[in-house]
Amino acid sequence: MPVSTRKSILIVDDEFGLAEMLRDMLRDDGFGVSLAINGRLALEILHERHVDLVITDLMMPVMDGIELAEAVRKDSRLAHVPIVLMTSLPFRVPERTGLYDAVIGKPFTPELLLDAINRCFELSARAEQGSNTSGEQSSHG
Amino acid sequence: MTDPTKRDRADSLRPRRILTGIPGLDRILDGGLLAGGVYMVQGPPGGGKTILANQVCFFQAANGGRAVYVTLLAESHARMFAHLRRMAFFAEDAIPEKMYYIGGYSALQTGGLDALVALLRREIQKRSATFVVIDGLVSAQESASTDRMFKQFVHELQSLADLVGCTVLLLTNAERASGFYPEHTMVDGVLHLTDEVSELRPLRHIRVLKLRGSAPLRGLHSVQISDRGLEVRPRLETVVPDEPPNNAAAATAPKVGFGVPELDSMLHGGLRAESVTMLLGSSGSGKTLLSVQFLCAGLERQERVVYFGFFEPPDVILAKCKRVGMHGLSEGVTNGQAHLVWHRPVEGVIDELGESLLETVRRVQPHRLVIDGMEGFERAADFPERLSHIYSAIGQELARHRITTIYTTELRALFGSEIEVPIEGLSAATQNIILLRHVEHRARLLRVLAILKIRDGNYDRRIREFNITDAGIQLLDTFAADTHIVSGGGVSPLPRLTETQE
Repeated sequence: MPVSTRKSILIVDDEFGLAEMLRDMLRDDGFGVSLAINGRLALEILHERHVDLVITDLMMPVMDGIELAEAVRKDSRLAHVPIVLMTSLPFRVPERTGLYDAVIGKPFTPELLLDAINRCFELSARAEQGSNTSGEQSSHG
Repeated sequence: MTDPTKRDRADSLRPRRILTGIPGLDRILDGGLLAGGVYMVQGPPGGGKTILANQVCFFQAANGGRAVYVTLLAESHARMFAHLRRMAFFAEDAIPEKMYYIGGYSALQTGGLDALVALLRREIQKRSATFVVIDGLVSAQESASTDRMFKQFVHELQSLADLVGCTVLLLTNAERASGFYPEHTMVDGVLHLTDEVSELRPLRHIRVLKLRGSAPLRGLHSVQISDRGLEVRPRLETVVPDEPPNNAAAATAPKVGFGVPELDSMLHGGLRAESVTMLLGSSGSGKTLLSVQFLCAGLERQERVVYFGFFEPPDVILAKCKRVGMHGLSEGVTNGQAHLVWHRPVEGVIDELGESLLETVRRVQPHRLVIDGMEGFERAADFPERLSHIYSAIGQELARHRITTIYTTELRALFGSEIEVPIEGLSAATQNIILLRHVEHRARLLRVLAILKIRDGNYDRRIREFNITDAGIQLLDTFAADTHIVSGGGVSPLPRLTETQE
C-alpha cells in the first residue's frame, strides 16, 4: 500500500512508452504523476509545481539522470526531494552519497518499484521529522 | 613510376576510414566506412541490424571513439541490453562514458524531424560522439509528411556528420512498395541484410547496394550471428587471388609417395608434388585410412601435414589409425608436425569452412593436405551453383602454397556399374583420380583400388585388392585374370572355387 494516495511523482525517461506505462501504473496506485523526457524538462517541472519524489532514468538526451540529481541537490528548494534512479545498468551507476536515494535495475516488477518508492517516502518522512525535532530542540535550547 | 610527392598528396587527400571491427565486413567494405559518412543498414526484423550497429559502436568505444545509440523504436534499452549481454563484444564498462543510449522517439513525437535533428546535434556535441546509430529510421520516415521532408532530414544529418566528422548508421526495415528508395541516393552507402529460409535452412546474407568512394566486394556474403556477435564471411571466390597455377612447373615436380610400396610402384614413384588427387570411393572402402597413410608418409620425411575433416572427429581418426598400426599421425600431432582440423558436417556456412581450410593452410604451410569428405562443403553450400567456383578458388590457393593435396569423396552407390563423380565442378581442379570401392568376388566382399587418371604421367592400370590389416595397407593381385571388377560384376574366367578349395 502506498504511504499516501496523494503523493506526486515525476517520472523522467526518454523512452516515452515506458514512462507512460509507469505513469498509468502509479496512477492506479493512487499517486499523482507527471512526465518529462529529459533532465532539463524535469527541472522545469520541479520549479513549476510540487513534486514529492523523482524517478529518473540514467541515460537521457540533453540532461541525464546524474546531472538532474546534481541540479536538484544543489537547489535549496528541491534538495529534499527523494530521487530514485532506474537503469538497465545498475552496476554502472556512480556511487555518490546523498545524490540519489535508491537505484532500481530495469527490468523491474511493479512491487519492486513500489517498495523503493515507499522506502524513499519513509526515509524522507523520518528525515523531515528529525529536522523538525532538532528545530524544536534548538528553538527550545 | 608514380611521383612520390604526388602519391603522398593523394594519400593525404584520401578520406579517413574507420573500421567496423567486423573483419569480414571491413573487407567487403573495401577497408571500412568513411569517417563522417552516413550509411544505411536495411533488413527485416531479426536480420541482425541492431547487433551489427551495437557491435560497431562497442568496437569504436574500445578504440578511442565515443558512440551514441539513438532508438526511435518501441524496443526498450533494457530489453536490448538483455539480448546483447550474451554477446562477446558487449562491454558494460563502456557505458555510459563511451557508449551512450538515448531514446529519440519522444523528441520526434513532440517536435518532429527538426526536434530529432536538434537532439542529435546536441548529443553529438555533448558526448563528443564519433559514431552515431539511429535505430528505427522508419519512425522518422513516417513522421515526415512528404518524401522531400524526409530527404531534407537525411541531408541535415549528412551536413552534421560531415561537419563534426561523426559517422552515422541509419537502421531501417522499411520496404517501399515501389522498390525505389529516394534516401539511397543521398547516403554514402547502403548495406542490405537478408534472413531467409531455403529448404529448411536459415540463410543470412549481407549485400552492399551502394558504397561511395570505395570498391566493395559485390554480391551476397554470408552472415552468422552467435554469442561471438555478427560475423561476415566474404564469398570465398571473391577473396582468393585469381592467379593461374604454374602447370609447367607442376609437370616436372618431384614425386611424393604413400609409403605403400605396391601403390607407389603403380604410381611410378608416387603422386606429383603440388598436385590435387581425388580419392573416390564408397562408404567404408578405406578412403580415410589411405589418405592418412599419405600424411604418415609425409611425416616420416619430416614434412608438415594437415588433416581437414568433416565426418569423423580427430579422436576417432586417431583411434582408427591405431587399430591398424598407423601411429605416425598421432606422433605427428604430439610433436606439432601434424594438424587435425574438424568441422561437424551440419548446417554451416561454406565460406566459413573454406576460410578455416585456407587459414590453416596459410598458418601451417603444410607440404601435404588431406580434405576428408568434400561432401562437407557441399552440405554447407548456400547456393550449389557456387561450388565449382569455390573448389576452383580453393584449388588455386592450394597450388599457390605448393601443397600436395588429397581429397576424399564418396561414391553414392556401394555397388554398381556406374562410377559418377558426385560433386560438380571438382574434376576440373583435380589432376589425379584413385578409385576405391567394394566388389563382390567369389562370394566375398573385397575392397579394390584402381588408378583412373594421372595427369602428365604413366601409371599401372591394374586393379588391385586393397587390404587393410593390423600391419597397415597392402595391395594384392587378387583379380589377375578377372574382368568387370570395378564396375561391379567380378566375373572370373576360372571355375568358382568353394570355400574349402580356397
